Amino acid sequence: MVNACRPLSLEEALVMRSREATTVFAGGSDLMVRYRQWSGVTPDFSGTVLFVGHLPELQRLDREKDTWKIGAACTITQILQAQGIPDHLKLPLLSMASPSIRNVATLGGNICNASPAGDTLPMLYALDARLTLQSRDNARTVAIADFITGPGKTILAADEILTEITIPPGDWPRVYYKKAGTRRANSISKVTFYAVARFDGDRIADIRMAFGAAAPTVVRNPAAEALLQNIDKNQVPAWLETLTTHYADALRPIDDLRSTGKYRQQTALRILAHFLRRELA
Amino acid sequence: MRNISEAIKRFDFDEKIEGRAQYAADLKDRQMLYVKTLRSEKARAKIMSIKYPPLSPGYFIVDYRDIPGENRLPLVFEDQPFLAVDRVNYIGEPILLVVGPVKKKILAIMQEIRVDYQELTPILNIAEARQRQEDFIFEGKSCFVEYEYEKGDITEVKKKAWRVVEDEFRTGYQEQAYLETQAIVAAVEDQRITVCGSIQCPYYIKEALRQALGWPEERIRVKQLPTGGGFGGKEEFPSLVAVHAALAALKAHKPVQLVYDRQEDISCSTKRHPAVIRLKSYLDDRQRITGREIEVMTDAGAYAGLSSVVLQRMIFSVGGVYNIENLKIRGQAYATNNVVSGAFRGFGGPQAFFAMEMHMENIARALHMEALALKRGYFLRKGDTSTTGGKLQSDIKLAEIVEKIDKISGYSRKRRDYDAADGGFRGIGCSVFFHGCGFTGSGEQEIIKPKVRLRKYRDNTVQICVSSSEIGQGCLTTLRKIVAQVLEIPVEQVQYDYPDSDICPDSGPTVASRTVMIVGKLLYDCARKVKARWQEGEFTVDQAYVYPGHLQWDNEHFRGNAYPEYSWGANVVEVAVDPLTYEVKVLGTWAVYDIGTPIDEKIVKGQIDGGMAQGLGYGCLEVLESHGGRLRQNNFTNYAIPTAVDFPATESGLIDNPYEYGPFGARGLGELSLVGAAPALAAAVQQAIGRRVRQIPLTPEYIMELMDDED
Repeated sequence: MVNACRPLSLEEALVMRSREATTVFAGGSDLMVRYRQWSGVTPDFSGTVLFVGHLPELQRLDREKDTWKIGAACTITQILQAQGIPDHLKLPLLSMASPSIRNVATLGGNICNASPAGDTLPMLYALDARLTLQSRDNARTVAIADFITGPGKTILAADEILTEITIPPGDWPRVYYKKAGTRRANSISKVTFYAVARFDGDRIADIRMAFGAAAPTVVRNPAAEALLQNIDKNQVPAWLETLTTHYADALRPIDDLRSTGKYRQQTALRILAHFLRRELA
Repeated sequence: MRNISEAIKRFDFDEKIEGRAQYAADLKDRQMLYVKTLRSEKARAKIMSIKYPPLSPGYFIVDYRDIPGENRLPLVFEDQPFLAVDRVNYIGEPILLVVGPVKKKILAIMQEIRVDYQELTPILNIAEARQRQEDFIFEGKSCFVEYEYEKGDITEVKKKAWRVVEDEFRTGYQEQAYLETQAIVAAVEDQRITVCGSIQCPYYIKEALRQALGWPEERIRVKQLPTGGGFGGKEEFPSLVAVHAALAALKAHKPVQLVYDRQEDISCSTKRHPAVIRLKSYLDDRQRITGREIEVMTDAGAYAGLSSVVLQRMIFSVGGVYNIENLKIRGQAYATNNVVSGAFRGFGGPQAFFAMEMHMENIARALHMEALALKRGYFLRKGDTSTTGGKLQSDIKLAEIVEKIDKISGYSRKRRDYDAADGGFRGIGCSVFFHGCGFTGSGEQEIIKPKVRLRKYRDNTVQICVSSSEIGQGCLTTLRKIVAQVLEIPVEQVQYDYPDSDICPDSGPTVASRTVMIVGKLLYDCARKVKARWQEGEFTVDQAYVYPGHLQWDNEHFRGNAYPEYSWGANVVEVAVDPLTYEVKVLGTWAVYDIGTPIDEKIVKGQIDGGMAQGLGYGCLEVLESHGGRLRQNNFTNYAIPTAVDFPATESGLIDNPYEYGPFGARGLGELSLVGAAPALAAAVQQAIGRRVRQIPLTPEYIMELMDDED
């Protein structure tokens, strides 16, 4: 038997979470697969399952000036359909999983699952997303890069719930996303690359680049990004070799049943070179 | 009279669309127990001991000692036990069954069973099998079977050869990926056993039960239930599942349900044979291909299964659609400690045609010719002989087929354009192929001896009694149409339910693209007899197969007509390879077939579209690798079959060429539609990347390796 709780409010959920070991369950698209057993046997959840997907407090989707605040239990479909959602937030979501999974999978779930191949993560890293972690008596805000510590590992405490994802303001006229997967839809990423840039004339005013599925956590390299800051976009190819070296050292892809480390490494760097040479200019 | 090709609504349409169809897993009974299979964790080992936990009342363990009859699966060679006795030969081999009312408790019992193994050195692939000098898996030799046959005089050709073109190709595993996993329900009542489930071949199962139980056949009943796909995966494998379920029902004295989970199903059921194929073509001083030597090797897995028959089809197909007078063709099916390879739509054809079509591409390149132009020069024609020397007696319209496909696909023009635009990462490929319909050689006569029955009732309805199973291919509809058309009655007046061995004679298994052409023709002949007696009220007519007089086959020397008849086809696939990720994007697919008269155009289109997608999946998506005897991919997240957005819709056409001996002129189709997709895709990728493709699936990882090579 599985012990399951369906709180009526976030407050109630946090009380439950403070009292016993719980597994927070939003859409369930990862959890139901992870804990599945023989068909017809209840999934093998170790602790109490705490349903949060229905809580209105976690479903908000607001724009405050140019800051997006997204409730952790917003489904991918809800986000895609929200009024005014900019392209740079939409792009990775559009090629994630399948329409039916996007209808139940939540942004908070994708973050807390902390898979190296999590499809929303490179975007959130690149945009400096901040996460609100709430417990019964406390709330804290952390950067996503500090939240995820390894494959499947986060700093979320046993009494906390990820309640909100904040995307700081940013106007990104240049957005680029490339995903290599096992097929065209409903596919787990082999390697992904997400980048945004802003220009001041021909000068790069700001640039962010992040790789998914190429290391235990998303790879973003602020030092490498800083090299491109303020340079003329036509000068970028001159920096290619230096940048490639920077990222080649940072990427730590593995061999697994979906692909090889060699493929992931080479493909990531080929996409990077293509982006800098062709997409940025 | 209606045109028989005109599509009608399928008879299984409503129950499937409305969700009313009752599959094996849907059958609920308060009494029903569940069965779970305990499987080998070792690729090759002796079982030293098994420790069982104490069992609560109502729970049972079934092992080899519970088999009242013979513990040997009745197939070509009887080397495979239903349940392991003292040794295991592959990971996933069934050792025992746990039976009981509560699934969770069954899992707990499984956890507590301790199997003590003494591991033996396994043979894990073809190369290892070829090197092995001792300690073989099967009867003191490395192969289950080894064949060789010749045509013409290859020795003379080799002496005079001016040029030799050589290739070696490899193909991987493929999983049938039927929507419904293996599923059987069994019950014992009044000294009889009834086994129902998701199956292709009711009489294979009946025979397996007869052997395992040692019961006379009157006490055994096998029924097909609505079945969520087969693709060959429910040809021989369900015999094992059915015997397991029957043993459990016998021991527990209760009905049982044995349904595999997806992971279990992918891990331990049969797969398409991985193959290594070597081809050597000899050309004379006028650049004509005068002879070939071909060697085919398959990884048959741990038991012989149907590997001999698959290998036969492979060596009878690997000559392709070309008339080459001098041939030497060899084949070996190697025993390894991998999962058992078995039947899969195409049955050796997909590997064979991939190799031959790519070989022809490479010969064309060597001769600075366009591939299709080269191929046209060797097309088989009526009156030619096949690789086994059988005279081809029907019209062969390969020239028309390729002319039509060239026209609808723009192949020739695009091929030239892409060649000119070297480095554009785009390509187009064309494959030309056949599929032999029906059992190999005179197997229909010697082995199957199919029989059909029609029962006519007073109310002028007619019942079809055949063992042909509806596995999505549409036979509940097509066979009805054939009978109704002969009798000139509305199709609704013809009854035909899922086969039940108590009612239906053995009209053979639902395999080998034989249902419409062989069983349909028997029904056609039977219906003509019924028609002649139409006024008689209620009566039954049986019709048995007679081997056509124009065919002959020598099974010892592989001489004569390797198949009763052939269907023909050509595919064109156009691709773009992503220069960054090396993913293959299929831009267009075209298909033209000669299947004689189509019995239902919509069902035919369904077979074409599905076969094409399954063949393209085989060619570029579906990766299944054995590491140390364990399949790494075991679910649909890791084993990627095509989705609706992976490939564009296929533009297809048919050539009008009715077959004299088929019902209303029909030939086989089910497998043909898969056979040519991968070679057309591979030829397209080869053109797109300018590197020689030597294996499928064409994964981005493999294409990267090719691009890294300085070709």
